Formats: sequence, C-alpha cells, structure tokens
Amino acid sequence: MSPELIKDDETMVTREDVENIALLSKLFVPEEELDGLTKSMQEIIDFADAINNAPAGDEGFDNINNLSNVFREDEVVPSFPVEEILKNAPEQAEDHFLVRSRE
Amino acid sequence: MGTIAKIHEMLVGRQISCAELTQRYLDEISAANGELNAYVCVTGDEALAAAEAVDKKIAAGEEIGMLEGVPMSLKDNMSTKGILTTCCSKILTGYKPIYDATVWELLRDKGAVLLGKTNMDEFAMGSSCETSCYGGAANPVNTAHVAGGSSGGAASAVGGNLAAYSLGSDTGGSIRQPASFCGVVGLKPTYGAVSRYGLIAYASSLDQIGPVAKTVEDVSLVYDAICKPDKRDSTSKGGSETYSTLNNDIKGMKIGIAREYLDGVRDDVKEAVLAAAEVYKSLGAEIVYFDLPILKFALPVYYIIACAEASSNLGRYDGIRYGYKTAHYNGTHDMICRTRSEGFGGEVQRRILLGTYVLSAGYYDAYYKKAQNLRGTIIKAFNSAFESCDVILAPTVPMTAFEKGHAVSDPIETYLTDICTVPVNIAGLPGVSIPCGFNAKGMPIGMQLIGKSFGEAEILNAAYKYQQAAGENFKDTKWGVKL
Amino acid sequence: MGCEAVKYELVSGFETHIELQTKTKIFCGCTTQFGGEPNTHCCPVCIGLPGTLPVLNREVVRFAIKAGLAVHGEIAEVAKMDRKNYCYPDLSKAYQISQLYAPLIIGGYVELSNGRRIRLHHIHIEEDAGKLIHQHGDTYVDYNRGGVPLIEIVSEPDIRSIDEAKEYVERLQQVMRCIGVSDCKMQEGSMRCDVNISVRPEGSETFGTRTEIKNMNSIANIAKAMEYEYDRQVDLIESGGKVVQETLRYDDATGTTSSMRSKEDAHDYRYFRDPDLVTINIPREEVEALRAELPELPADRCRRYTDELGLPEKDAQLLTKYRRISEYFDAACEGVKSPKTVSNFIIGQIFRRTETESDKERFEVATSPEQLNELVKLLDSGKIRNNLAKSTLEKMLDSGKGALDFISESDMGGVDDGALLELCRAAIEGNPKAVEDFKNGKEKAIKALVGNVMKNSRGKADAVAAEAKIKELIG
Repeated sequence: MSPELIKDDETMVTREDVENIALLSKLFVPEEELDGLTKSMQEIIDFADAINNAPAGDEGFDNINNLSNVFREDEVVPSFPVEEILKNAPEQAEDHFLVRSRE
Repeated sequence: MGTIAKIHEMLVGRQISCAELTQRYLDEISAANGELNAYVCVTGDEALAAAEAVDKKIAAGEEIGMLEGVPMSLKDNMSTKGILTTCCSKILTGYKPIYDATVWELLRDKGAVLLGKTNMDEFAMGSSCETSCYGGAANPVNTAHVAGGSSGGAASAVGGNLAAYSLGSDTGGSIRQPASFCGVVGLKPTYGAVSRYGLIAYASSLDQIGPVAKTVEDVSLVYDAICKPDKRDSTSKGGSETYSTLNNDIKGMKIGIAREYLDGVRDDVKEAVLAAAEVYKSLGAEIVYFDLPILKFALPVYYIIACAEASSNLGRYDGIRYGYKTAHYNGTHDMICRTRSEGFGGEVQRRILLGTYVLSAGYYDAYYKKAQNLRGTIIKAFNSAFESCDVILAPTVPMTAFEKGHAVSDPIETYLTDICTVPVNIAGLPGVSIPCGFNAKGMPIGMQLIGKSFGEAEILNAAYKYQQAAGENFKDTKWGVKL
Repeated sequence: MGCEAVKYELVSGFETHIELQTKTKIFCGCTTQFGGEPNTHCCPVCIGLPGTLPVLNREVVRFAIKAGLAVHGEIAEVAKMDRKNYCYPDLSKAYQISQLYAPLIIGGYVELSNGRRIRLHHIHIEEDAGKLIHQHGDTYVDYNRGGVPLIEIVSEPDIRSIDEAKEYVERLQQVMRCIGVSDCKMQEGSMRCDVNISVRPEGSETFGTRTEIKNMNSIANIAKAMEYEYDRQVDLIESGGKVVQETLRYDDATGTTSSMRSKEDAHDYRYFRDPDLVTINIPREEVEALRAELPELPADRCRRYTDELGLPEKDAQLLTKYRRISEYFDAACEGVKSPKTVSNFIIGQIFRRTETESDKERFEVATSPEQLNELVKLLDSGKIRNNLAKSTLEKMLDSGKGALDFISESDMGGVDDGALLELCRAAIEGNPKAVEDFKNGKEKAIKALVGNVMKNSRGKADAVAAEAKIKELIG
C-alpha cells in the first residue's frame, strides 16, 4: 500500500520558506546547507501532498476517545522548593533562571 | 512459562535472592552492553537497593507480587527522578528530572527493580535507533543488524536477556517495529489506556507507553500493572485486565486481513503472516479478507500530524531551564537558536521544520487540517472493518531488520518502514507484535494483531494462543541472563 | 480649492487580559498568589518540564462563564483549548495554551453611560506567562506568574473616543470585581490592555490601518498613549504618509509609542488544538446555575438606584463603582425613608475617609452599615436634626461606636412627628395675630410661629419641618 507519490507542482518549497520556518523553529540553517535542506523539504512536502488525492473527509476529528470535561478541582498543592525548580538550570542567580546577554 | 513467572517462582522458592539475580543482570549488562548498546544509563546502586528491600520481604515471609523483584528497564524518554533522562539527545545532556513518570511510579510501587534506561532514536524519531546521540542499539539476533526503533534499546535489552521486560513508547510503531526486528513481543496499547504523564512527548496525540517482553504472558502482566487512569493525564482513561483471559478458546474468532497491508511487503514477510493465518485456522478461528483503501494515506497523515505536534512539543528546549546550552552566543535569541541547532540531531531538526511548515500561515488548512480530517476518516474505516472481524492480522514491518547504516541514507525510504504500524497510532487502537518466523538469514519476522479500541484482552488472547501453537518462532538469543 | 481641515475619527478596539482569582493556576495546583519569592510558586507542570501534562482547573471555566454572562456573552456549548506557539524565555513550554478555534464565550457587549454598546468579539481563557527582569542586558526569569489563569476579552473596534476607552476599561473593572472573578489591579498586572487604534476621516465607513499598543497597565497611560497615537497617525496621513500595521510599545517616560518589531520575532503563532487537553462541554443547566450565582451587576444596580430609589445618576454611578460600597449602601438603606440621605452621608462624609481607589475598593469603614442605618432612621423620624446627624456620624466614624453613644435622650426628646404636630397646633392657637398676618401675605409672620415651636421644644424640633407643618395647618 505504497502512498501515491505525486509530483504535481502544487507546493513549491523555496529557500525563503525554509529560512522563514527555520526562524520560527529557532534553528540556524547555515547558508551552505540551505539549498540541500530546501530540496529535502521539497521531497518531504511532495510526500505529504499525497493527501491531496484523498477523499475530502468530513468526519472531523476531535480527540481519540472523544473525551470531554476532564478537570481538576481548584485545590492548592504545595509547590516545589526553589532549589528543585532550578536544579537543572544551566545557569541561575538569585533564585532565578539566568540568561546572560552573551557568553 | 514466561520470564516474569519464572523469576517469581525462583524468588518465592528461594532458589536465588533478588540481590543475586539483580547482580547477574548487572554483570551481563556490563559484559554485553558494549556490543548491544541497549542501555544508555545503568542504575546499579538503585537496583541493588530495591532488590534488597524485596529480599527482606521474602525473608520476613511476606507475600510478593508477580512483578516484585523483577529486573526491568525503561526507555530513556520516561521521567525518572534523580536519574538521567535524555531522550538520547544532546539537548537533554545531564538532565535529571525532579519527578517520576506515572508508569514508573506504578511499577516501582509494585516492587520493580530498575536496571537502567534504554537506548532510543533521538526523541523517538526514527526506525533504527541510529539517531540516538549514543549511537544505535544492535540486534541481539545478529549484531550487524539494527535493533529497530525507536525503542531499539528496549527490544535489544529484552531480546538480549538484559532485562525481564522493558517499557517502550510507540508513536508510529516504535514498540512493535523493534519488537518485530528483535524477535520479541511488544504491545502498543489503546491511546489513553496508559498514562503519558512523565513520557517526554514526541507527538502527544499518538504517543503511548507499552511493554516489550519475551512472551505474551509477560507483556500481559506488565500491561495490567500500568493501564491505570491517571488524574495527571487528561487523555488517560485506563484499560482493563488481560491476564485472566489469555488462554480463552479462540474458536470462532474472526481474524481479518486487510489486503492493503500485504501490498509492497517482502515475500518472506508476507508468507510468514499468511502461514500464521493458517495456524489460526487450525485453532478454529475464521479468516476474513477485506479492503481498507484509505490506509494508503496513513503515512503522510502520520508524518504531518506527528511532525506538527513535535514542532510544538520540542519548542521548550531553549537552554534556559534544563539540558544543553551553547557555549558561545550573543543575545537571547542567538543563544536559543545555537543551543537548538547544536543540541538537536539532523532528523529531529528536519521533523521540527516540517511540523512548523505544515502549521504555518497559508499551509495549515492544506496539511494539518486536512490530515486531521483524514484521521477521522481512517478511524471510521477501522470501525467499519471491525464490524466484520474481531481482530486484524497484519505484518508489523514490510521487511526484517536492516543492516546498520542503511536507514540513515534516505529519510523517505525509512519512513516507509512505518507503513504497517502507523495506522494503529492514527486510529488510537491497540496493536501487539509477536514473532511469526524467520527469513532465510535467520532474522525474525513479526506480525501484529490489531484490536478494537480498548480490545487489549482480545488481541493478547489471540497472540497467546498463537504463541502456544507456534512456539518455535519465539527463539532465545545467546546473550544475557539464562534463568 | 477647499482648504477645510478634515476631521479624523478615532477607531479603537481592546484586547483586555484579566487574571482570574482562582486559588490555583490554570493547569496545576500551584498557588496564584501575587508576589512570593521568585520561583517558589512553581512545579514541574508550570515550568514546562519535559513529560508534564496540563489538567484544566474547573474553577477557571466557571469564572470565565460568569465573566461572559456578566457582559451578556453567549456561552459556547463546546469549547476547546489550542496551542499558540512562540518562543520566548517567559513562556516555559514555548507555547501558550489558549483558545482560538472554539473559545468559551462568543459575543457580548459593554454598555457605556452615553448609551453606546461596545460589542465584544469573544472571551477566551489562557495561561499567563512568567516574568522577566532585565538587568545589565542579562535576563532573570521567574515563573511564579506562569500558568496563572487569564481571560482575554476581545472587543470589536467600536470605541470612538478616549473617554469611551477609559469608561470601557472602568466598566470591565467594575463588573469583574462585582462578580468576584478578578481584582483587576492594573498596577499589579492583574488587568492589562492591548489597544488597537486607527483613524479615518469623519463620515468614512471604511477602517484605516491600525496599530496595536501592547501591555498598557494604567488607565491614565491608555489615555496618554491613545492621544499620542491618534495625533501621530493623523499627522502621518496629513503629511501624505501611510500608517503601517505594527505592534507598538508605549514609553511612559517620553509619552511616545515606538515599534516593537525586530527581525527576531517572525510572528506566526501556528495555532492548533492542544492534544493534551480534551473538549469542554458546557451543559445549559450549568450555565443557568452560574447565572443564578451572579450578584446584581453594577449596571442593573445603577438603574435600580436611579429608577427605584430616586437617586441622581451621579450618586448612583459613584455608589456602584465598587461592589463593597453598593453592598454597604444597600444594607444602610434597609427600611429608611430617604435613600438619598444615606447616599449623602456616604458620598459626603464617608468618601472623605476612603480617598484612594483602593480604599474605596476595600471600603473598610469603622461604622457598620447597620449603625449608619440607625442614625438615618433617627433623622427620618425627626428625632434628631441634620446638623446633629452629621456631627454624630463624624464621631461614629472616628470611634466605631453607634449613634446612641453620642446622642442623649434629651437631645431627641419629644420631637417625633406626633409631638411636632402638637407643638405646631399650640403655636397657631396661641398666636392668632401672627396667623392673621401670614394669611394677609406677611410671609415673615410665620417665623414667629416657628420660633414658638422651637422655644417650646427647647430647640430640639426641626425648624424646617415645623415651618412646613404650620403652613400645612394654616392651609
């Protein structure tokens, strides 16, 4: 049941697209890798484009078991000690997580 | 007899103390892990301390539970307080959680002895375990082959007798595929049967924790212990007990085969699955064939949804609260980008980018929304399939374990290995992979039994009956602890 | 060529964030208390540790529904939670759990005193972010506020003046405080506004390009920022330029707005349904039960004070601004003849002791409403006179004691209504000449009759009441 790989030109992934999504994803893409990544993204998007051939489903999807109204009561649970909260922080100062301006 | 029952019998019969048993596992891990690379963190001291507590109970004449004192392991994406939990990613370097995952709480309370954390593809993204920052786990059947992924370490540890059982997680096949590759049993429970609290998320609407073990009864015992509703996971419902019905007669059970599942599957795999169908016939089950044409869209639907959710779930790794932080930067934005670019591997970055793309303005409707709609259609198709059968029989993977280094070359080809496993995750159904034969090179072949929502008892019953009838397919390896 | 200056109309819409006063955060059991040492109101969930999951606080939904009902919104039957993705150090998960596709409340309006209704687009629930402190370029992060529940009230662009904007915010504060869902303290950040603003030539039907001023934290600043931004946009258009749609920050020190845009924040929030949370179904019975829990709303109260109690609009407005004041007023009015008298005491005397807005909000007054009620009843019945009542109230407010601690029996002897009537009759009978003079148009003659009443009551009768009564008797 291989998915139908269609190669229509519906979705073109451009260098600018990749730069933009990299910025949104907070990832650096070095200039020299940009073309390669654009090509690879194009391949994956072509692959994803297979769903355009699917019947227009109107089933909709809410959540797997159609669960609703799962709540907790408004009761205070003791918080964690600040030392625990900061335990894994790469840097901390004065009981705060710290991000120095440069390193 | 299953491994867990055997250990239980040995402990209760005082043939071995829990501390001795645990030490044997630890010794075998030190001996074999260099080659299998199943474990990325071994918790020897904690394991021995837990074992001694069990020994005290036994010495005091107290009764112990089936899982009590049984040495096991957890995939490295399950939160363990004070114990390294890295998702096999550089970005979680040194991260020791301050809380326990619900599954670990449940098992620890039942006296489980944690040997360590098992190897996996980075953030569970991969099908070979080779995207792990620690390098891939080897297949205990033949170490030139991969263990599969993403829970490769779990399957390798169990197949290599380096744990009685292990918990893995399955987003698109990550329990069943390595179980199939390594010749062991792996259960992906119904979405919501097992709490996800403490499981480091890859794709929240697809992820489920489940057991990997050598036999169906072991998998059943562990599943029964962890399928509890959890107030901390809004999507958890809990499941129901499976152990007592394992040996039920399956005469008249309708086993369905969707023709699409056999398309493009290697001949040796197809033959083994069809041979299993014959076994079922001999056990009195009825085989029904049907079509599920919508399945051909399952893989792109899976990648769109999984990557979209992953791009959001993995946004939090920014070098501020935990884990890796870049050494040199200029400004907060620069720090975050460098940390993420250096901390995440290539496959993870690729999936984050794809996920960001399909959610971004202008593409959301065409990809994410459409994929969610198709998800509804796929669920509906399974529901109607289950009107004509009780369980669905299918190959777990279209092939057997590939050789190391093969998967890395072509991402799309690698994605195709998930083609038989992802539909179950999309529809939130339970699926168990069990060994059903070997190819010419002796590599295990796996088949999966797919059940109705919360139909774990039914598929494990069918799996157990097969295991009894075709025990020759459940072979031991040369590695690890021999009980 | 006509050089008539074009007049520009201001068009504004508000996005108002209000912190809900639940005991715990929206998705975990940590306290929502304001302040606290840094990072001490935190747990794995609200600092976004990997593997943690949110569970929705039931009270947040209830509070939000109450807020929705109080502004005449429609409560959705089905609501869902979405993720709003953006990466910033104050957001521990790199997404904010919010609502876009299926918010809890749809529509609604806030009515202003000029009769205009500012329509609401919707109200949704979401989590607050942590707090960043910038020092010498370094950033210190405190997640105590992270996960505190918020409602965001999004208005339509219906506001047409700065005064309307100010009143809109005040009305929201009033109503949210009244129903007890938030203290709406702008100075503490429990209420914050994003102001969308554009201008267009008067009479134009189309909207101009808008800008958004983020995170305004006082009504005074809102007014100043809007004024500045209005002028800036008008100047820009008149000099041939174009307004650019952008996000602005207001600088209190310089009184100017400036662009917040930087290359680093490409804003595309990639909203999608949060897979960790399930659907919220809201049965109609629950909505009705919550509606029944609502106290009388300020607008309804205000109308009751003017229409039923006959108070002037201005009094009614002042008394309904804070819930505690109107409750005090209502209790003090119990069974009195003239609510206006009660209003006068509160606005004239008690307000002098509760000068600041927060004093008025707390309205902690030494004299209980029951004590004020007793004083007013003495006055009503004519037992004491207005001047005495006023000075007595001052003593009561100083001491917390009741009226009878300061007023002796002799101060109020025999001047109730019946006694006054007798005194007046006696005065008329005893002074036929004065009566005759008055009847002949000699207005002053009445003073003699009143003087007689005062003399015989030893100065305790109410002269004004006596004069009225005598006139009535003479006919």
